Amino acid sequence: MGIVVKKVDLTWLDRTYLWPIAKGLSITLTHFLKQLITPTKKRRTVQYPDMKRPVLDGYRGLHELKRHDDNSVKCVACYMCAEACPARCITIEAEDIGDLNIHQGLIEKRPVVFQIDLLRCIFCGMCQEACPKDAIWLRKNYELSCKSRAEMRLGKFDLMNTYAVEDRKSRVNRDPNNPTFFKQ
Amino acid sequence: MSDTFVFFGINIPIIPVAWLLAKILAVFGGVMSLAAVLTWAERKGAAIIQDRIGPNRAKIIGNFRLFGIFHLMADGLKLFFKEDLVPQHVSKTLFWVAPLLAFVPAMMGFAIIPFGQSFSWNGYTFHLSVIDPGNGMGMLYPMAIAALAVYGIFTASWASNNKYSMLSGMRGTAHMVSYEIGLSLAVIAIFLQAGAYDPHEIIQAQSGLWNVFAQPLGFIVFFICAFAETNRLPFDFAEGESEIVAGFLTEFSGMKLGLLWLSEYIHMITVSALIVTLYFGGWSIPFVANPGPILSIVAFGIKLLFFCWVFIWVRWTLPRFRYDQLMFLGWKVMLPIGFANLILCAWLIYRSVA
Repeated sequence: MGIVVKKVDLTWLDRTYLWPIAKGLSITLTHFLKQLITPTKKRRTVQYPDMKRPVLDGYRGLHELKRHDDNSVKCVACYMCAEACPARCITIEAEDIGDLNIHQGLIEKRPVVFQIDLLRCIFCGMCQEACPKDAIWLRKNYELSCKSRAEMRLGKFDLMNTYAVEDRKSRVNRDPNNPTFFKQ
Repeated sequence: MSDTFVFFGINIPIIPVAWLLAKILAVFGGVMSLAAVLTWAERKGAAIIQDRIGPNRAKIIGNFRLFGIFHLMADGLKLFFKEDLVPQHVSKTLFWVAPLLAFVPAMMGFAIIPFGQSFSWNGYTFHLSVIDPGNGMGMLYPMAIAALAVYGIFTASWASNNKYSMLSGMRGTAHMVSYEIGLSLAVIAIFLQAGAYDPHEIIQAQSGLWNVFAQPLGFIVFFICAFAETNRLPFDFAEGESEIVAGFLTEFSGMKLGLLWLSEYIHMITVSALIVTLYFGGWSIPFVANPGPILSIVAFGIKLLFFCWVFIWVRWTLPRFRYDQLMFLGWKVMLPIGFANLILCAWLIYRSVA
């Protein structure tokens, strides 16, 4: 059995069409006036490049390679992140920085090459989970656009500088000669 | 300085001719710029009615945006510099003529409208309408010109040589011709009331009571038929994205499209001016006997802008009619009501005279 649709009975006032039209006009007019007196910041439209919505906690945006106070990279080139990465976008090449001993804080390696291909990255945050040194963070920058594929492949120092301006830190373009953290 | 100069053996009075030229320039420029502003007002008004922001990105000189009003300059520039594409299959001559045929009648209708009170200076009388009163045509002239607007749409659709455009032209023509009857019937009642064709005299006759209060029925008929005449929602049958692409506009591009668009807005202005003149006392201000030229122009402008806004407001409120509903409304509702209004009006006048 089909559904019986109840027919709407129009009153004589509705049959003139003029009264419903007047009602409709009043609705649009109230919307018009309300929107007119609403200040821009309270309107529903977020005018994107000028205004931005707050990014929620737990958002996974562009990566940052964390650094020590002396600008040396925290990463110890353990390959945990590269292994954890489901998209296989992390490329690491390790380098010896001395023998394993207590004076160096048990650190003997650091990355020479640490590359993330953002075009492959799925921003799952597995690298951040896997990292034993808290050296890689996924933070809140989501404005990732560039003009070529090559630019989307960030190297070690690019990744260390991704949030330098926001955190008011200096830009790094080389490893410090005598890492002081060895003497911790 | 003599009052006349000889041009090819004809004595031409300087001041009236200069005044006529000034009026033509003022009306043409005024209506054109108002039409351009209306394109912006439509976009912005639509946005604000729908709780959006609307155009506000175009800017000149640094960060000077002014509610996006520069979009109309950007739009105009864009239309001028776009490729003027003429498809292979169109009728070349008519394709060129069609935008003009749409544009010129829309523009001409405004010529008869008095947009301010006449004044005298130095022995001359200056009338603030392009065509002076006492020309014998009066309000019949804009009616006749409005009828010509059909040719613009139909020529455009015929020249396009395209099924959708053709359908749009047929639909547009059918509904414009049907609604013209209702429009004319409402205007005849005004003629009866005022006892004259001339807009100046019609405005004089409304000095006691605006016609909208004297003939509310006629006003409703005229108002609804005016919407149909301008081809705007809820009667925009010449266009329709879901059925006939862009209708008669489909094959047009560049400034040809711009002219066809502009003519719709100029129609809106002309019809608003007609409504103001016929039903809202033209340039007159309530309870002011002699407002003088400046105040009367301001009053006319305010009324005109209000009705232009009503056109935009209604467009973004109402959905379209179905085609059979449109024909039903035109022939079975507007026509009888128009006749009823005419007969009622005639009877009332007969009663008051007898």
